[in-house]
Amino acid sequence: MAADSAFAAAPAGRLARLGRQLLGQRKAVFGLAVVLAFVLAALFAPWLAPYPPTEQNFADAMQGPSAAHWLGTDSFGQDIYSRLLYGARSALWVGFASVALGLAGGVALGLLAGLRGGRSEWALMRVVDGLLAFPELIMAMAFMAIFGLGLSNVVYALGLSFVGPFARMVRADVLQVKSRPYVEAARLMGVPERDIVARHILPNIASPILIQAGMRVSIAILLGSGLSFLGLGVVPPTPDWGLMISEGRGFITMAPWMSGVPGLALALLLVGLNLFAEGLRDALDPRLRKD
Amino acid sequence: MTTIDHKARLAQAMAADFGRRDFLKTAAAGAGLMAASAVGLPALAQGAPKRGGTIKLAWVEAIDTLDPHFTASAGSIKIINNVFNGLLKVAYDGKRVSFVPDLAESWDMPDEKTHVFKLRAGVKFHNGDACDAEAVKWSLLRVADPAVKSPHGWKFAQLDGVDVADPLTVRLRFKKPYAFLPVALTGSTGRAGTIVCKSAVEKDPKAYGRQPVGTGPFRLVGWKENDSIELARNPDYFEPGKPYLDGAQLLLIKEPSAAVAAMMSGQVDGMSVCPFQFIPQLRKSPDVSVFGQVEGNYAFVGMNNKRAPFDDPMLRRAVAYAIDRKVIVEQSYFGEAIPAYSCISPPMSDFYDPDIAKSGRGQFFDLAKAKEFRAKARTQGEVNPVYIVTDGFTGSGGMGTRNAQLIAPMLAQIGIKPKVELVDRAVWTSRRNNSDFDMYDEAWVADLDPDETIYPEWATGKPWNFVGYSNPDFDAACVAAQDIIDPAKRRELYVKAEDLLMADAPLAVLAHMKVFKIMARKVQDFEYVPADLLDLHGVWLA
Amino acid sequence: MGKKLLAALGQTLLVLLVVSVVSFGFLKLAPGDPVALMLGSDYSRESYDKLYADLGLDRPLPAQYLQWLGRFVQGDWGTSYVSHQDIFQQAVLQALPVTLALAALSLALALAVGIPLGVLAAVRRNSWLDMAASAVAVGGNAFPSFYLGVVLIWIFGVSLGWFPTMGFVAPWQDLGAGLWHLALPAVTLGAWYVGLIAAVTRSSLLEVLEQPYMAAARARGEPGWRVIWVHGMRNVLMPLVTVIGLQLGGMLRGAVMTEVVFTLPGLGMMITSAVQGREYIVVQAGIMITALLFIVVNFLVDQTYAVLDPRLRQHGR
Repeated sequence: MAADSAFAAAPAGRLARLGRQLLGQRKAVFGLAVVLAFVLAALFAPWLAPYPPTEQNFADAMQGPSAAHWLGTDSFGQDIYSRLLYGARSALWVGFASVALGLAGGVALGLLAGLRGGRSEWALMRVVDGLLAFPELIMAMAFMAIFGLGLSNVVYALGLSFVGPFARMVRADVLQVKSRPYVEAARLMGVPERDIVARHILPNIASPILIQAGMRVSIAILLGSGLSFLGLGVVPPTPDWGLMISEGRGFITMAPWMSGVPGLALALLLVGLNLFAEGLRDALDPRLRKD
Repeated sequence: MTTIDHKARLAQAMAADFGRRDFLKTAAAGAGLMAASAVGLPALAQGAPKRGGTIKLAWVEAIDTLDPHFTASAGSIKIINNVFNGLLKVAYDGKRVSFVPDLAESWDMPDEKTHVFKLRAGVKFHNGDACDAEAVKWSLLRVADPAVKSPHGWKFAQLDGVDVADPLTVRLRFKKPYAFLPVALTGSTGRAGTIVCKSAVEKDPKAYGRQPVGTGPFRLVGWKENDSIELARNPDYFEPGKPYLDGAQLLLIKEPSAAVAAMMSGQVDGMSVCPFQFIPQLRKSPDVSVFGQVEGNYAFVGMNNKRAPFDDPMLRRAVAYAIDRKVIVEQSYFGEAIPAYSCISPPMSDFYDPDIAKSGRGQFFDLAKAKEFRAKARTQGEVNPVYIVTDGFTGSGGMGTRNAQLIAPMLAQIGIKPKVELVDRAVWTSRRNNSDFDMYDEAWVADLDPDETIYPEWATGKPWNFVGYSNPDFDAACVAAQDIIDPAKRRELYVKAEDLLMADAPLAVLAHMKVFKIMARKVQDFEYVPADLLDLHGVWLA
Repeated sequence: MGKKLLAALGQTLLVLLVVSVVSFGFLKLAPGDPVALMLGSDYSRESYDKLYADLGLDRPLPAQYLQWLGRFVQGDWGTSYVSHQDIFQQAVLQALPVTLALAALSLALALAVGIPLGVLAAVRRNSWLDMAASAVAVGGNAFPSFYLGVVLIWIFGVSLGWFPTMGFVAPWQDLGAGLWHLALPAVTLGAWYVGLIAAVTRSSLLEVLEQPYMAAARARGEPGWRVIWVHGMRNVLMPLVTVIGLQLGGMLRGAVMTEVVFTLPGLGMMITSAVQGREYIVVQAGIMITALLFIVVNFLVDQTYAVLDPRLRQHGR
């Protein structure tokens, strides 16, 4: 099987092959370029931003794009371009941090379920099914209702809502790998459980899980902005795309760029992430069509 | 012996004159406070009123309860105004505000402390109960009853007793002359004189606010959460021929831009209130009439006097002088307001000083002075007070978090960096009521007399004194002013009270705002009353 | 077969139990004193004690849970502190139909647009049509629905005036007005799905296009459209059902946004208002009912699976 031989090859060669396959995918390249652009924008925001994101200037409020303000200003006179760059920070942070949290929790649960098997697996999976029954946004909203608003709470809320999906995926992958002949063989040979997990199971589930994680980042960013849009995420005047879109609603006829610019930025980032994740998936195993 | 016409004296004293030229001289907003906004003359009627049709209104403000004795929200008052009647009601002829009998047919004052109301015959509540003198007495006493704990009970503190002279005559006796009575009975922020139905209240007091039963031209027939409130014509209404409308559908739209979109696309016939920034656009629209003037209100920042850091008056004064009101007017109210120097607002023309800007009285922007006070404050070094804000538009209270966001950089200049906490309206209200804040901002609106605009908000121990301010001299001045009818003498007392209030600065006043009602052209005979009312009694659809 | 169904039901029941525990836990975690909240501003010691006992707060946690569960199952979901309205009535009789109507129309729209798009892309593989369809697919999936809704309101609602910008009219009461009011919201919500459906249709169709039985059908002289739509679609059905079922969570999330933007009084709006107003008891009802919906739909999807794919019937899951 392709996956097995891939495993047998040295990791460096595998990575190189992956790189080549990836570049062959136009989607992935385009997506990666977009994502990288946003990541760089976020990282270098303090240097790229012409103005502090919360600096108010009423004389220039609600101006369209101009030489002084490339993307216009909002109703407080804050520079939209600068807020866009800083907003990229919170968006990307929410996306990656919450997915990382969910991943950690999900892997732990999924591994436990997959390895134990039997009754405890069955019970754990029913618990996971229960968690999965709550739509992520609603679970995050309920979390914010209890624990309050703010960027860290958004990360926790979303992270929690991702534990379920990851747990299910991890468990399914663990089961698949567990049943492979060489793993059975290793077990029969008396290799300790811990080593089996570390050397056989984890590396094999790593790629599918990471792909899933990648795809989830765009959902996390979407949900995070959604929460802010509903007034249940970060607090003004934090530069945040969802918050900017929400504030822009009240000015849509006089200053449509207030909602328009962050809306397009968000859409672009999500498209980039989706394309990259899809490209990654197609590159690693074009025959794989499940999600 | 000539009987002194107490009523006429009182009426004259209470009437606010909008048309006086000295009023027009009011400071900042200069060019056309009156000219720019549509003076509320009724739209040119096209023929005789047509009967029928249901008006659809976009309702943006929150509605707390429709029990008039417990409400505190402008959104509720406007509805209550159509479902209930009071002994008196507010009337406006385009120039003067006056108080005319509503449920009562006539209103007499045999002496300074007694008011006699002769009721109309045959008035019935929506459930069929008779609205006679006994019913009126019960309703008035309900407000006054300390056990009921109505937040409007203070309006009857001086009430000595209510007598039923005959089935259609009610006599109110007060311990002292009570100049404020007409406003107390009609005061838009909760009509103490609004008559509620005893049997309905006693059947289920908690639910009465959701299923109000009054005597008004409309009955409440439906209330769907987050959706709409339906009103239907009361066929037994006592004003002949009215109401013309079959009913009203109030669409509850929390997001103001959605309401404006609905208005501009013709989906609704009017808006209960409108965000300031849309006004220029709506004025230009040929299908829409914009009604609005500076009304009796003031926006302010309240500071918690009961705990640090704002238990220190020096710090509070620093805040009061550090705020640039012009910026607030331009940026928070989009120019549709005037800077406030004290609490009393232009419609209270017997008490408002149009030259207050030049008088040096009150609070205003003076950074040097602010820094002076700041240097004398107890806490030097950076202060981080908790500033609670809520999103959600209140037409007469500024736009959600805008004031806080505008004020924060202003205070940073004097070493105060507020910690803004965004919470939802319900949480905000509860924190404000429990004094769980250091700073908050809101507005007291739809006031017609100084007594209601400063007394229950800043006198010791009063229900709306959320900041815990206490100054016995201030209390005494207000109480003294309540007993006097002569406007000149009252004015002196209120000047004194205000000067005390502004100097102690438990609040920093911000602005007096215009309040808008938007109606489609096809809505006829809408009479604008500058007390934030949306009266549908005589309205008809062309 | 019957045994499989029973086993599936049993599993579902257990999951429902987990959901109920989580929902119960949520209300327990919520800050504030529920008795005080329910009684409002002012109450006597005895009414407090009475309600306290009635809510079972003096009993141990597991007993409280059972009491709550018992009441919940019978439709006693409590009364909202604010509106004094029965929550069951509000959630199930008023809000739920609105959300279902929105979801149904959105799905129908997404299928009506997505399937033909996918077919086109498969049949004209790698042509510019394929690229265009791909682009629409990706775009629809990524565009934030709350932003899309706002844009649609102002272009089609206000500027052009073709559609209403808010409000809900029940289609079962007035079909025309109902559909007209739901048009923009359905487009907003459906856009998210169009891409997915198109992608699944395309890939499933591609899988079988070169299969012998398809060639055979063509050889028999069957018209092209019949070949695709009758024979080809059989292979699309299952993945389509899977995807729809799996993405239901996404649809509920989109419904929250869409309802808020278009002021539709559905479940999403109810939950959002309740969270904003910290009305925990309504939030709890909201999360229970959305979870219930999700589980029920998943169960139906699984059973549809079994019916559609005879292979599954024999091997079990």
